[in-house]
Amino acid sequence: MAILNNPALAGAAQFDTIIYGASPLAYPAPLIQYAIYNTPDPAYVTGRINVSAFANLGGGAAWPFLNTNVPLNGHVCIPRGRGPFPLAMFAHGNHNPLENSTPGYLYLCQLLASHGIIAATIDVNFLNGFNFGENDGRAIVHLEHLKQFRTWNNTATHPLHGKVDLNRILIVGHSRGGEGVGHASFFNRLASVGGVTLDGSGPFLLGPYRFGLTAVAAIAPTDRQFTPVSGPTVVPDHYYIIHGSKDSDVFDFQGYHTYERAHVVDLANPTVSDGKFKAMLWVHKANHNQFNSIWASETPVGVAMPRASQEEVAKVHLGALAQAVLLDRAEYLEVLRDHGAAVAWDPAGTEFVSQYQDPERVFVQHNQEGLGAPIVSLPVQGTVAADGVVAARQLTALVAGVTTTITLRLAWSALGARLLLRVDPSTLPAERYKTLTLRVGQSTEANNAANRDQDFTLEVSSGSHTAAIPASCLHRLLYPDPPPFGPAKIMMQTLRLPIERLVDCGVDPTDLRSIALVFDRRSTGTLYVGDLQCSN
Amino acid sequence: MQPPAPPKITAVEVEAAQPTEADSVAIARLSAETSRSLPQIPYTVKVRIKPKPPVTSMAWALYVDDVLIPKYWEYEDGIYFTVLDPQFFSDHKGKPLRFSQNGVDFFDTGMKLPAPTAPTAPSKSKGKAARPSKGRARR
Repeated sequence: MAILNNPALAGAAQFDTIIYGASPLAYPAPLIQYAIYNTPDPAYVTGRINVSAFANLGGGAAWPFLNTNVPLNGHVCIPRGRGPFPLAMFAHGNHNPLENSTPGYLYLCQLLASHGIIAATIDVNFLNGFNFGENDGRAIVHLEHLKQFRTWNNTATHPLHGKVDLNRILIVGHSRGGEGVGHASFFNRLASVGGVTLDGSGPFLLGPYRFGLTAVAAIAPTDRQFTPVSGPTVVPDHYYIIHGSKDSDVFDFQGYHTYERAHVVDLANPTVSDGKFKAMLWVHKANHNQFNSIWASETPVGVAMPRASQEEVAKVHLGALAQAVLLDRAEYLEVLRDHGAAVAWDPAGTEFVSQYQDPERVFVQHNQEGLGAPIVSLPVQGTVAADGVVAARQLTALVAGVTTTITLRLAWSALGARLLLRVDPSTLPAERYKTLTLRVGQSTEANNAANRDQDFTLEVSSGSHTAAIPASCLHRLLYPDPPPFGPAKIMMQTLRLPIERLVDCGVDPTDLRSIALVFDRRSTGTLYVGDLQCSN
Repeated sequence: MQPPAPPKITAVEVEAAQPTEADSVAIARLSAETSRSLPQIPYTVKVRIKPKPPVTSMAWALYVDDVLIPKYWEYEDGIYFTVLDPQFFSDHKGKPLRFSQNGVDFFDTGMKLPAPTAPTAPSKSKGKAARPSKGRARR
């Protein structure tokens, strides 16, 4: 594997930071900080858009415009050079509209621009307030900003002409903006939303979009404050989510439901993948507001990690995502696959739980067939036997809210218990994949010792040869970090056991006959398990 | 730290409003969907809240009985939402207003949805807002 450089370190590219904005507006005194958008770079004067089909203006501020003509304001860091450069675009979430949330991601824009990415952060403050259900509007604003950059890219006389790589776009949203980017990913492929055409025609003149969105990243997002007529939004693009255990705003990690809905197994065609990955990073001691450099911390001093550390985490992991998906440095996907790849760059002592699902996979046991006894999932054939362990498929609320993903709960009370999956080797082509993967997490139930890592042995056999690998050799299974309030979340950690390592132990991946979870390392425990698969 | 407490509603009023362009488009679409000719009169349901909670990303979803109000907006004294189909009031008049953050746990506000007064003098609409219709919340 190529040696990775810390993606949080500035790159060599020089860049310019400019403001773009609509024609001057008479912001009243409480909103005077938005007057910076009245003097955009002369080449970057934008228009207004009509979002009235989706949203009213937020309350609590006397905006000098209506929802029929909101401005396209933002900050953009533009690398010097000929390009074309990929584009990353950040959107903030809900916050006091009297404080401009937009510059709060400049620290990330500057990092990405230094690596040759055009990076913008957009003004959606006019939707902020004590509102509900406006996140479709946030998505439309995000897409209209992308459209503005496409217009500039296609305008022969504009400084950005030919400089924007419209097939390499990353949209990032925080909080309600994080929910918004999921909707934007969904809307991007639609001709209309809720009866509103997105083809540039009247009366609202929105769209067309159909951008080459490469990936969608959500920072501490909300979920389902807006729900399309077709049902909860399923993100169709590569999806990345990051959330902090000390988040005291979106304290229930509802974005995990967005993550769970994305790129699920198709029960009718379980071997067919939509070709997209998803990845999750759960950051112990990170809170909600410190991902935005403007927002004051919402937690008392000492509850969350220092702001500088939290921003560093964001730079490392969103930087790695951008390197991987926008700059074709696929080696940085390793950070998504395993947060341990970033241990030298993350603030010392920071604990994480991460998940990764590769688009290339075959499930051995995904559990989504129903709430019956656990089985081996088709097309793999085999049997499941529990010895000394209570194995039950459950719709367990790993985080708060309505759960739709079935998880396998395993509870044992004596050493030596095991869950054994015997498989027909002719139905499991393990040799075609790089890893044997599953996700596992512990709860705060009484048979898990408080503040102690859980552990077990993963036993994989091809008949005469067996490999026995402690889970703790792959990753720690952390005890849940106490939340600010509410129940602790059960965060499953993806464990990736390289097939190569099995081969080194003498296991023949072409003849893989059994996979067992052997509970020989803790005398009691409860674990939640999902998505046992061969994967890349 | 304490979890956020649900907002306290002090009064609920219903006013007829003048339709915005977005309202008109939505009423036309709703009329087509329901095969009924709906009046060009949106109703604004004003929900007075005191004190107003801080602005956060977590939201208190508002329900009339078990019907989610899909969108609401802030104004000086609280929040408001728009009803485009008067049948909504026929179906839900007198039903309790409830808040929930997760769709699982609900908090009854002690207030009920009133009926609208006769739409004799529409007030100026605040623009596009929630459009509950007969028996269900809709986009």
